[in-house]
Amino acid sequence: MGDFKTIRYGERGLLVCDLSFEIRIRLESCAENQSLPWLQEVVPGYDSLLFLMQSENCLPALVRWLSAQDLSAQWDDSDRGILEVPVCYNGPDLRTVAEAIQCSVETVIELHSSAEYRVRMMGFTPGFPYLDGLPERLHLPRRGSPRNHIKPGTVAIGGSHAGIYSVASPGGWNLLGETDLRLFQPEKSRGDVDGSEAAFHLRVGDRIRFVSIGEFAL
Amino acid sequence: MMPILEVISVGSGMTLQDSGRSGWRRFGVAPGGAMDQHGMVQANRLLGNLQHAPVLELMRQGAQLKVLADTWLALSGGGFCAELPAWSARFFEAGSVLHFSELSEGLWAYLAVPGGFVAPKYFESVSVDTRSGIGSGLKQGERLYAKGPIIAGQYPRVRQRQVHPDLQKVYPDEQQIRLLPGPQYDSFAADSRRLLVEGLWQVSPRSDRTGYRLDGGVLEPAPSIHSEPVISGSIQVTTDGLAIVTMRYGPTVGGYPKIAVIREADLDQFAQCGPGTRIKFIWEHY
Repeated sequence: MGDFKTIRYGERGLLVCDLSFEIRIRLESCAENQSLPWLQEVVPGYDSLLFLMQSENCLPALVRWLSAQDLSAQWDDSDRGILEVPVCYNGPDLRTVAEAIQCSVETVIELHSSAEYRVRMMGFTPGFPYLDGLPERLHLPRRGSPRNHIKPGTVAIGGSHAGIYSVASPGGWNLLGETDLRLFQPEKSRGDVDGSEAAFHLRVGDRIRFVSIGEFAL
Repeated sequence: MMPILEVISVGSGMTLQDSGRSGWRRFGVAPGGAMDQHGMVQANRLLGNLQHAPVLELMRQGAQLKVLADTWLALSGGGFCAELPAWSARFFEAGSVLHFSELSEGLWAYLAVPGGFVAPKYFESVSVDTRSGIGSGLKQGERLYAKGPIIAGQYPRVRQRQVHPDLQKVYPDEQQIRLLPGPQYDSFAADSRRLLVEGLWQVSPRSDRTGYRLDGGVLEPAPSIHSEPVISGSIQVTTDGLAIVTMRYGPTVGGYPKIAVIREADLDQFAQCGPGTRIKFIWEHY
């Protein structure tokens, strides 16, 4: 039986908190696969899941549903394929990062491209993946002052996460390189709603590896 | 579908809007849509449109539009147009020009045309979200198309249609906005929770469609949190103690603690508060 810590969030929101990655992913897929009439949408946070209801009156139905979820079964998605992200390591912060952790630029690239990552959640901008799995040596504070304009496809690290900028935006992460993968293609959402997911290259839960396709040319 | 308006001047900004996008937050797509949904619905109802048909959203002042066909037009929200009072609809002849002036009390005005405007839809919405690279704003000289049908004699012997007075909103320079506790309410000091409702707040000029900054006091910051989903109307408190209200175009996740969230029923009214409006918050509970 599900026993979750919950907090009310606005009239129609209930935030389920302190979830492990695995439980969060399974709870989300349970909610999405059951086409629950009282549910507007579910939104993953880092270790939380927001249930937005159609109306405030649906709260008892949601609470009943949550308490009936049984997530004790074994879960394994190791057969899920690994997506490769080609990267040209030419980012302006490679040297700064190398100096901060007292190693060579080659080692930074080696560290970043040898790890396996997982899309923990999306946000900031459409299709921007917060990636778990960044080697601990690369956990560095964000830049003191954010840049105003970062190109889509820019591969970056910030705190304990790796990420890929999905649209042109400001940002405070350290920039390591760029990929020509387009993470967000809004023009693919012009058709019917079922096809609109094609606008996103990645999904929450995807496994990822960065592959170096070129050295830095500074 | 026919051309109905031409943009002579965009003024401080105009975009086509509807009720926005639902169900895409988990990919990081903000709901977007008209900043004041009530205003949008009332403009459409004046012309018998579907209530979420695309409307033109005009920010504050300076816009000029030329009418290209004999048609009825409707205006609502916080705008001031010399030729068309807010919360009403009337007939215009081709060649007329609409002027929006700075006398407006609210921030956003909504202009509806018969059947709604025609525009490309992304995730089933015409809403333009420039921060996310979805759609683009309107430019001078651009022509706007109505879905129609455009029937010049649609309301025979009627000079003007009006929104029922109970549904017309006014935008006084002092407003009361109701709050519910945000997810991190308990981690804020009692003094901060009190300051929020005892202080007099104003929307900072450094605000946009993603968020309204609040001037009027510094709150004691609460411990930072793991990034979690953020809904429109949330009052986030930065590490500097600055209060920012996330609006419909704000990021879908964030790591600032949220002390409060504006009641959904008050969010349209709050969205119309410009710099200079004095805001009094009131705590309510679940």
